[in-house]
Amino acid sequence: MSRNKLGVIGAALTLTVGVLSGCTGGEAVDVGDGGGAKGAGGVLNAAIGGEPDQLDPHKTSAYYSFQVLENVYDTLVEPDADLKMVPSLATKWTTSADQLTWTFTLRDGATFSDGSPLTSEDVVYSYERIIKQKLNTAYKFATVKSVTGPDPATVVVTLSAPTPNLLANLGGFKGVAIVEKANVESGKVKTAPVGSGPFKVAGYTSGDSIKLVRNDAYWGDKPKLDGVTFTFVKDPTVALQNLRSGQVQWTDNLPPQQVKSLRDGDDPVVRSAPSTDYWYVALNEARKPFDNPEVRRAIGYALDREAITKAAKFGLATVNQTAIPRNSAFFYDYAPYSHDPAKAKQMLGQAGVGNLTMDLMVTSEYPETVTAAQVIAAQLKDVGITVKIRTLDFAQWLDEQAKGKFDGFMLGWLGNVDPDEFYYAQHHSGGTFNFHKYANPAVDKLLDTARTETDQNARKQAYEQAAKQIVDDASYLYLYNPDVVQGWSKKVSGYDVRSDRAIRFRSVALGK
Amino acid sequence: MTRFVLRRVLQSAVVLLGVTLVVFLLLQLVPGDPVRVALGTRFDPQTYEALRSRAGLDQPLPVQYASYLGHALTGDLGVSFRTGQPVSRIVLERLPATLSLAVTAVLFALLVAFPLGIVAAVRSGSAVDHAARVFSQFGVSVPDFWMGIMGIILFAGVLGWLPPSGYVALTEDPGRWASHVALPAVTVGLVTASILTRFIRSSVLEVLSADYVRTAEAKGLRNRVVILRHVLRNALIPVVTVVAVQLASLLGGVIVIEVLFAWPGIGRLTFDAVQARDYPVLQGAVLLVAALFLLVNLLVDILYARLDPRITVK
Repeated sequence: MSRNKLGVIGAALTLTVGVLSGCTGGEAVDVGDGGGAKGAGGVLNAAIGGEPDQLDPHKTSAYYSFQVLENVYDTLVEPDADLKMVPSLATKWTTSADQLTWTFTLRDGATFSDGSPLTSEDVVYSYERIIKQKLNTAYKFATVKSVTGPDPATVVVTLSAPTPNLLANLGGFKGVAIVEKANVESGKVKTAPVGSGPFKVAGYTSGDSIKLVRNDAYWGDKPKLDGVTFTFVKDPTVALQNLRSGQVQWTDNLPPQQVKSLRDGDDPVVRSAPSTDYWYVALNEARKPFDNPEVRRAIGYALDREAITKAAKFGLATVNQTAIPRNSAFFYDYAPYSHDPAKAKQMLGQAGVGNLTMDLMVTSEYPETVTAAQVIAAQLKDVGITVKIRTLDFAQWLDEQAKGKFDGFMLGWLGNVDPDEFYYAQHHSGGTFNFHKYANPAVDKLLDTARTETDQNARKQAYEQAAKQIVDDASYLYLYNPDVVQGWSKKVSGYDVRSDRAIRFRSVALGK
Repeated sequence: MTRFVLRRVLQSAVVLLGVTLVVFLLLQLVPGDPVRVALGTRFDPQTYEALRSRAGLDQPLPVQYASYLGHALTGDLGVSFRTGQPVSRIVLERLPATLSLAVTAVLFALLVAFPLGIVAAVRSGSAVDHAARVFSQFGVSVPDFWMGIMGIILFAGVLGWLPPSGYVALTEDPGRWASHVALPAVTVGLVTASILTRFIRSSVLEVLSADYVRTAEAKGLRNRVVILRHVLRNALIPVVTVVAVQLASLLGGVIVIEVLFAWPGIGRLTFDAVQARDYPVLQGAVLLVAALFLLVNLLVDILYARLDPRITVK
């Protein structure tokens, strides 16, 4: 089936669902075989939107994998609800005066779910595996010179340069989890991983579900649930029906157009929190006239972010003109681009740009980019720019992006903790995600110093200056920070939506 | 007969070989880089090169194909780019789900289409005939995913009789399997039933006007005997082919329906493999589907030769 045909079907489906959703009753129906309670705690059924590609935390990059792995693995430290890094496998740590040596003390009595003790050797093995095999998170270890374990309870990380965000790098998400050597070497880590987290993987049915059971050897507070079963349900309407019928007690795959009305009810419980993700438009600065900052700024004034957000996210987002969201300690309140088509037109005229036609590359993988592009196209038409929307599937989209074959594109940058993750790869002239070819020596310098600046105030200031310059140069045209939206049965207690999208079931209980 | 079968088997093998080549070449034309997809938005050139060489994608095309074919001949279809699991295992794991859905759907279609098609033909022009025609038109023209969503909303949402989605293996719990297969099978089966109803009706109509039927009627045989003994037997022969082709195409997986109902079959596997540009899995799935198709065709040909002695090998 051709991409276009799929796209048409997708659009028809969305439409149908939108129309139908109005007339489905909110009445919950219990068909009896949901829940599957066997012990006192019961098994929580969670519906996620897709299937993990594999369960090796160092090799997967799929969010669906991390939804599961969050409950299976531990990291040295981990973000709490406010994204502050707190102890996990390491109970404390000290930093040398020159900031180049970090010494971590491991938790006493931590074991893997197969009973073997977790020692400094495992930490060294895990980090060396990521570094030597250049696995997905290798970039987080760019300044790490060596990792050693002088005794079983101590891990020493030596750096080539001060790295104030080291804790976020070592614990921001489960891609840097501590794995078991035997499990990796047997190859079982892909489907039957062994971690030290609150749950362990008990079964994996390809295409259908992954079953987790409580890890009774877990070092922390024992989970109340007997287990969690993740089933893969792609269609949000179907996921919602599963939640309503009691087959499923938790899902993050809800039809966005229904969230508003769902939030008003009390079963299912639907909650949201602002996320650390941001969505943006980038213009190709290797092509004319987008190499001219005036032109990019003019487009910044032409955009009505409120309207874009309303259409793309049904209001489930906060408009933003910088990358870092409002609730972060690094939030910088700067929003120079008011919606002003007249000004945009005038600026384009001064830059000598008239009758401009540009393509805007979006992907069906993230339908919100497709919807947003239609609104953006309408808004740019008002200032004399004709936008040709190119909707590609994600594989092709990434390909064209890498080759620089675009005038503009829209995408999001997901799951960030430290400000470095919000800016460096995208806006440093040597950044690995700088596909739009932005280069400003002043910004490069700011990002380089902020990376190693250990004084928190000075660091915050450096990022604010960098952010201001990036916004003024319109390197990215930031649009919004979306909300994390999740829903669960009112039988579920002890669950909170987290802004980093980590799905933690360790303290969840399931009532009758 | 043996020679006939042998020749058909040999033909099938050649076709399969052709399928591997065509699929391999087509995949080179599909835009999109599997390694970029695996890395998602977190792009890093070093990681990219490492992944690429691990997947063997840095080799020249003829080398890639030769190595694929060499392994395939020994039953090794390679490993998935995404999961690193052997493709043959991944594909075979999905077969039972697709098989049980396809067979249930075809059985349902036969149950609906046979009585409807025959009655419509025998009472051609009657109200039943018109109703059958409306049913066929509806089934063929309404998209199956839409019917699926309607089914979910009605039977799972409003009435609460059936689970909205999911899969339980037949061997694990037949009762729960049945409740899960009902909605997707009926959704798929309705389309098949619409096609079959039309076909059975016209096939029966054709036979009804044949000379030997007129002879039978002239002999004074009762209507029921004429239809059951003379009409049906002859009308069935072409119907067998259509049923077989329908079944074979369902065995390829009903992509939209499997995705909608979270049914872990070949269709869903194919869908995911395309999205991830997981070439080995995609090749494996296509190869399996092609093999099944050829097998069903072979069986039909043999059955045909049996049913109708006029079809013999030259």
